[in-house]
Amino acid sequence: MIKIENLEKVYKTEEVETTALNGINLHVKEGEFVSIMGPSGCGKSTLLNVMGLLDKPESGSYKFIDTELLTLNDRERSNFRKRNMGFVFQNFNLIDELTVFENIELPLIYNRIPASERKTLVNEIIERMNIVNRSGHFPQQLSGGQQQRVAVARALVTKPKLVLADEPTGNLDSSHGNEVMELLCELNETGTTIVMVTHSSHDASFSNRIINLKDGHVVSEKINKSRNEELI
Amino acid sequence: MFKLNLKIALRNLWKNKTSSFINVIGLAIGLAACLMLLLYVSYEWNFDKQAKNSDNIYMVMTNVPGEGNKISQTFYGSTTALGPLLKQGLPEAKHVVRMNYGEKSLIANGQNSFKKDSKFAEPDILKMYDYQFVAGDPKTALQNPLSVILTKSTAKTLFGSTDVLNKTVRYQDMENLTITGVIEDLPENSSNKFDFLMPWSFYESVDANAKDLNWNNYSFVTMVVLNPDANIDLVNRKVEALVKANTPQNPQSQPHFLYKASKLHLYGKFENGKNVGGDIEQIWLFMALAFGILLIACINFMNMATAKSEKRAKEVGIKKTIGANRASLIFQFLTESMVLTLVAVVLAIALLEVSLPAFNQLLNMNLGISYFNAASWFGILGIVLATGLIAGSYPAFYLSAFNPIQTLKRKIKSKTILSVSLRQVLVVGQFCFAIVLIISTLVIYRQIQYIKNKPVGFDLNALVEIPQDGELKTKFDLFKTEMLKSGAVTSMYQSSVSLSHHGRNFMDMKWDGMTKPVNTVMFNQVATSYDFIKTNGIKLLEGRDFSKKFASDTSGVMVSASAAKVFGYKNPIGKKITIFGTNANIIGVFDDYVWDSPYKSNNPQVVYLTTGQTGTITMRLNNANNLQSNIETINRITKSFNPSYPTEITFVNSLYQEKYKSEKTLGILSNLFGGLAIFVSCLGLFGLVAYSAEQRTKEFGVRKVLGASVASLMQLLSLSFIKMIGVAIVIAIPISYYAMEKWLNNFEFHTEITWWIMPLAAISTLLMALITVSFQAYKTAKANPVDALKYE
Repeated sequence: MIKIENLEKVYKTEEVETTALNGINLHVKEGEFVSIMGPSGCGKSTLLNVMGLLDKPESGSYKFIDTELLTLNDRERSNFRKRNMGFVFQNFNLIDELTVFENIELPLIYNRIPASERKTLVNEIIERMNIVNRSGHFPQQLSGGQQQRVAVARALVTKPKLVLADEPTGNLDSSHGNEVMELLCELNETGTTIVMVTHSSHDASFSNRIINLKDGHVVSEKINKSRNEELI
Repeated sequence: MFKLNLKIALRNLWKNKTSSFINVIGLAIGLAACLMLLLYVSYEWNFDKQAKNSDNIYMVMTNVPGEGNKISQTFYGSTTALGPLLKQGLPEAKHVVRMNYGEKSLIANGQNSFKKDSKFAEPDILKMYDYQFVAGDPKTALQNPLSVILTKSTAKTLFGSTDVLNKTVRYQDMENLTITGVIEDLPENSSNKFDFLMPWSFYESVDANAKDLNWNNYSFVTMVVLNPDANIDLVNRKVEALVKANTPQNPQSQPHFLYKASKLHLYGKFENGKNVGGDIEQIWLFMALAFGILLIACINFMNMATAKSEKRAKEVGIKKTIGANRASLIFQFLTESMVLTLVAVVLAIALLEVSLPAFNQLLNMNLGISYFNAASWFGILGIVLATGLIAGSYPAFYLSAFNPIQTLKRKIKSKTILSVSLRQVLVVGQFCFAIVLIISTLVIYRQIQYIKNKPVGFDLNALVEIPQDGELKTKFDLFKTEMLKSGAVTSMYQSSVSLSHHGRNFMDMKWDGMTKPVNTVMFNQVATSYDFIKTNGIKLLEGRDFSKKFASDTSGVMVSASAAKVFGYKNPIGKKITIFGTNANIIGVFDDYVWDSPYKSNNPQVVYLTTGQTGTITMRLNNANNLQSNIETINRITKSFNPSYPTEITFVNSLYQEKYKSEKTLGILSNLFGGLAIFVSCLGLFGLVAYSAEQRTKEFGVRKVLGASVASLMQLLSLSFIKMIGVAIVIAIPISYYAMEKWLNNFEFHTEITWWIMPLAAISTLLMALITVSFQAYKTAKANPVDALKYE
């Protein structure tokens, strides 16, 4: 589904130039769950941002199914993103002024889904995420795990083809972290493609394939046998 | 989406109570000032525009020729002969209406008598203005010479009802008039206002001058309704030609022109026959003031919004990643500022309702909000929209431009150098405006004091005057004897005009040794009786007052010092001058005194002795008695002469107070708006400091743990703000110096801008800003560092 070729990204400040991505090639199949690992500064978050169309690389190609995404303008990128992608962040990134329900509803509003349909969709996902009794609460009133569930729910409510997760368990304790990972697995099993950046090999063990980055290169790729066997 | 945006906006308002409070209060004050001004401007703007065809109503203006082909004065008086000539010879004229200026005169229903504003006019006035008739027929109401039209409130005052058609009222205790019409009261903002209207045909029997068709008495008003398609320039050329062809021409001939009557109120100042503005300048000034305050409030909003940008950046980032485009974010932030403005406007209307009575009293007006008028709601809505847009647009564009990755990683710093300095520029701008207002207030105040302290030329205290009505005209000598006998007054005289008066200027004057064939200097004339100087106490420089001992005084004249200078007489006493063709000898020279504007030197004046020209009786009260009993005595004696007239005793002092009115208004307004500007600016400063303190809580905690003193922390927080005020001072001082210098130069008599005004304004602004800043700075610096470090 995703074909990335020769991706290059350079950050420039007044004094130094840092090469974050240095000729990355990456293919992701539909229905795959890919983890990206590597030390700090290896470029994994940058890669995820480029995949999420939040950042623009200097050169290379990024094809999603058969569409070249790097030539799109801002408006087209924004439209493509809201129709096809969902995001889960380490620090949840919920809007403090909106309730759980409203936070989850927001992407549907941007996708111009009619109100009645929105209500059904949000209620469905709230039930699935087991946060029904929290739907009227504000983010600050929830625990970290609950907040991340809301964030996942928000990423999923539009039924995206691709979910991008940036260290989704980074701010959670291990039991809450496991809950979130199981959620992502369930999601993957229903056919959603997931790309996740993580530091934790435990988290990575939930995925089909683990890609290691260093200094902007892919240094190794490992198929996670246990998980793939499970699948078969 | 809109609903959700609204929710975010409201919840944000509620969460950030300090900044919401500052924004709402600031905007409410700004909006209240703006709405108040809007009321005032619409009142002034609609002056004389109530009639349906007000666009076609013209006033006949007259130019007074002056020295060297120039026009020295332009006024709206005209002669009795002009009207009929225009009616006959100007085909563009639909109606021509002659009228008098209008004056207070007595109207009575039996014993029930009042002095009310009266007016005489030709019947076509009813075609010119579409008065609302409650009773009577506009076609016939002014046909009969002995008829009168009352306004509703006059009818109510006289009869207690408006059902008064065909009843009789008595005019000036002299003639009975039949009521042929009752009309709705005329709006406050119309120049041709009256309480009762009488036909011109009756005026011809009241005032012989009105009957006589002449070309040299300009004491009347002529108005013309032109056809809608008439070209005014063409019409004016025709008027000039018509008058030239039909009158003997001489150097004193005064050319006429037509001028739109509805423009006269705001554009009534003429120089050399050309319009050079008028009260419209004051309107612009008030507008600038009110919009300035509103702008300061908008700047507060912008500053707070951009200062808080870090907080909002996260929201922007999230929304962008899940699909919001820039337009929708801009829309959201604009919604937010609109919501705020709406809350503020509700508060502003309440504020306005509370302060309007005081404002009306201060400015002597009668303004009110008309809640049932669609136009006023459109006005309010327009202001709300404009304010919301101005206040919201900068934050909206600024915030919506954030890059989602940076915002979500909390990497957003006070972004570029530009955004920070823009905030500084705005703060500097706010305080510039405030300082300019403070300096202006001080200068205006000093100018008013200067003029007030400038001697008028005689002792105003204990001088009173009454109008010379009814029997007082014919029995003045008897009245004077009785008054003096009663001991209430020490001396008194009658004169054609009050001590304080406008007009009565003339040029028909000759003297020995005149260099020009015809005089072009404008003189002022006062006709009086004996004891003129003795009563008013004007300083006599040479010669003597009029006296009964000299029978020759009937052809004597007193002249002002400036008049003697015009004549060029070294020893003026006994010299001859010719006024209106009559010879007179100078018997006294008095010092110039203020009778017209106190801001410029008044025309040279001549005072002559005539018993025929009555008008005002001026009296000096006897200081030996108390004021109350003096007034009672005057009242009693006057009443015995004129039982049907109410007595109107005016203190000359108050007449002179009137002269400072427009400058006093200016002073009050600049005081008021200056105070508000400073308040709103400080409010904004407070918000910025509070925010900056909040942002640096952690830094301050660390510094404190490392041993920083409260004073050093306060300095750290205050210095950058104080610097901005410093810059504002440096910019504002030359601007206000220049502006006030220009303003002062409008007045022939004016004070100088003293050196201490500038530092006073600078220091007081700095002090206020310092108090605002240090309040917050102290709070932050004193806070327990542990509390600050616990978070994060």
